[in-house]
Amino acid sequence: MGSFMQRTTGTLIIPVGVFAVVWALAAIDGASLFSSGDSLLILARTTAVTMLTTMALAINLNSGRFDFSLGAMALASSTIGAHIAITYGGGFPAMAAITLVAGALLGAFSGFLYTTLRISPLVSSLGVTLLYEGFAFTITGGANISFTQYPELVSFGKSLTAMIAVIIVALFAVYMVFDRSRFGSDYRSLITGQSAAVSAGVKEKGNAIRTYAVSGALMGMVGLIQASSKGLIEAGSINFSTIGIMFTAFLPMFVGGYIGRFSNDKLGYLLGALSMSVIGLGYSALRMTSAEQSLITALLLVAFLIFLSNEERVTRWWRRMKAGKGAAPSEPTSLESVGAGAR
Amino acid sequence: MRITRKTVAGTAAAVGTTLVLAACSSTASPEASGSPDADGDAAALESVKMCVLVADVTSSEALSFRDYYTQYVASEFPVEFVYSDELADAEAEKTAMEGFIANNCEAVISFASADRPTQLDMAEDAGIYYAVATGALSEEEYETFKDYEYYVGAIGPDVMTEYQAGYDMAQYFIGEGDTSFGIFGGGIPYYLEMHIYRAAGMLAALAEDPTTSYGGATEMGDILGKIYADGTINIGDFESDVYELTGYLETWDFDAAWQASMADMVGASPDAILAVGTGNAILGSAVDGTGIQIGDIDAYTEDNLAAMENGTLGYLAGKFTSINGPIFAATYSAVVGEPYRTEDGSAFALSQGYWTATSAEEFQEIIDADNVETPVYDADTLTPFIAQGATFDEFADFVSKYTFADLAG
Repeated sequence: MGSFMQRTTGTLIIPVGVFAVVWALAAIDGASLFSSGDSLLILARTTAVTMLTTMALAINLNSGRFDFSLGAMALASSTIGAHIAITYGGGFPAMAAITLVAGALLGAFSGFLYTTLRISPLVSSLGVTLLYEGFAFTITGGANISFTQYPELVSFGKSLTAMIAVIIVALFAVYMVFDRSRFGSDYRSLITGQSAAVSAGVKEKGNAIRTYAVSGALMGMVGLIQASSKGLIEAGSINFSTIGIMFTAFLPMFVGGYIGRFSNDKLGYLLGALSMSVIGLGYSALRMTSAEQSLITALLLVAFLIFLSNEERVTRWWRRMKAGKGAAPSEPTSLESVGAGAR
Repeated sequence: MRITRKTVAGTAAAVGTTLVLAACSSTASPEASGSPDADGDAAALESVKMCVLVADVTSSEALSFRDYYTQYVASEFPVEFVYSDELADAEAEKTAMEGFIANNCEAVISFASADRPTQLDMAEDAGIYYAVATGALSEEEYETFKDYEYYVGAIGPDVMTEYQAGYDMAQYFIGEGDTSFGIFGGGIPYYLEMHIYRAAGMLAALAEDPTTSYGGATEMGDILGKIYADGTINIGDFESDVYELTGYLETWDFDAAWQASMADMVGASPDAILAVGTGNAILGSAVDGTGIQIGDIDAYTEDNLAAMENGTLGYLAGKFTSINGPIFAATYSAVVGEPYRTEDGSAFALSQGYWTATSAEEFQEIIDADNVETPVYDADTLTPFIAQGATFDEFADFVSKYTFADLAG
């Protein structure tokens, strides 16, 4: 029971804590986190996008493969899907199917390049980023794709039910693929002991390519959600502008990794993404400028990294605090006695 | 040197990247071997290589400007246009200028404004002509650079024109009986001058009501000063017994906070959202079906026409497709030895404003009158001002007649 409580507390402390703090700050300011009818939709949509991006980043980064091309995959796959759906018809189902398949293929190609060229994944993914940005540019001729005249293509991103379904299905699918399949078992064995796994017959190249393909499919879904919610795909830049989306996933990834110790890292990514989305709603409720938002997000990331780096010290200090309090339960809680306990 | 697999792979990656970049930095080769002269004959004008700095390559406006140059002008005059990639900041502009100078460009037409002084200095040092399109230098900058030998001049909306565009938009919706407004401030936090002036114009129009002020300010200078000081617009500082400012949104972040602010603005159901630019592209999907109208300063595109037809877009002030014809004529003339200079020998600074549409019919009239195939600034209109001995006063008069009635009425 104690273990269950500990695990539950460890899993929920960050999202619940974040929600409580942000809600309290908004209340003090006389604002509400859910001030508009679309607040829940925005919460679900940004949680879905951040969770998918975090998973796409983490599944390769866990194996030491840093992938800058996540945003470019989202851009190129959604551009392909939207372009075909607009040109040849088929509506949203066609756009969704093509985007997801294109994302998986683009991811697999990225993995193929990495495993074939055997250059650093960081360098390889930079090349792939430019390649995919150029690909999207070529398809659109450098123009934005606007859905103003195709309202049927934007309904998906405006549906709360669809966004919740995306979260549930993606979480379940990624969990099954990486935690409950032979492929996932091979993937984990390569992380914990590559040489041993290869000696045991695990095909590392194939595993890496398939991991990239899953990452690409996840980013295809990100591209689909973004395109249908914005009603716009900006495909005219070949300047690494798509890299930015990756940085939105770092804090949720670290939070997810922390939560994963108490439950499952995939659930952790969801809760990390949810926490970030709540913070985003808080920024809006508190009417913070974009500069203030950037600064606070950066500070939160740094603070959490400092916490992770000094976690043992913090834990020791917390235990000493608890032990101190436990040793003198009946004493009055004067400043002196707290100070003595802390020593 | 030993050629390893890594060497080959690295070289292939580098070549691939270069090819992608090269493919995307497009060039329009001249098809015309000579242009028609004032008499309509093919003149033996020399071929000129003009390079174009662009900060935006995706908007409909940017694409229509580009098509006008690369598809129409390049087919009518002996000119080769070389475009930069999208330039996000001053450093990117500098790098692009270095590339242009190394590639023997004879003139640079700049749509990029992050660091114009550096662009001007680089062009002057390299001895290549430099012109500002659809924009203007600040007064201080103009005084500094007006005597540069290779500075051709600027044609475009000056800051007062931008202010007036925002003012006129707000006045239009006030005239329609609207009393509650949202404002999309775009690049105000990045201190984008034209967006700040447009927003100041909007607030000044509202502040003409005696009970209305923005942070106590009612005049242009005071409103501008407050926006510059804050780097944003605070709707809490807006006071009025007549009008409501129900929401404000800025930048193009699309993150959770941005989306929540947009939802708040739309959810407050204002009569209209006044956008300093790209309003329909950014907000059109969100306001569709809500009855809220957008006022926008953008371009005459099919998407904006569709939005005006379905009632989402209520007002559009837009630069017309061929608006950059005169700056091309002036730049070409300078390269071939006939620069336009003011009476005191300085580079020119000429202003042009927007064409306005408030109905789908007006919108259609405008795009019928001016498009890439049949621009209002066509070859016949431009030719008398391309190295044909026209005076500066004649050229200035030509540029000043830019309204729809002047050019297409």
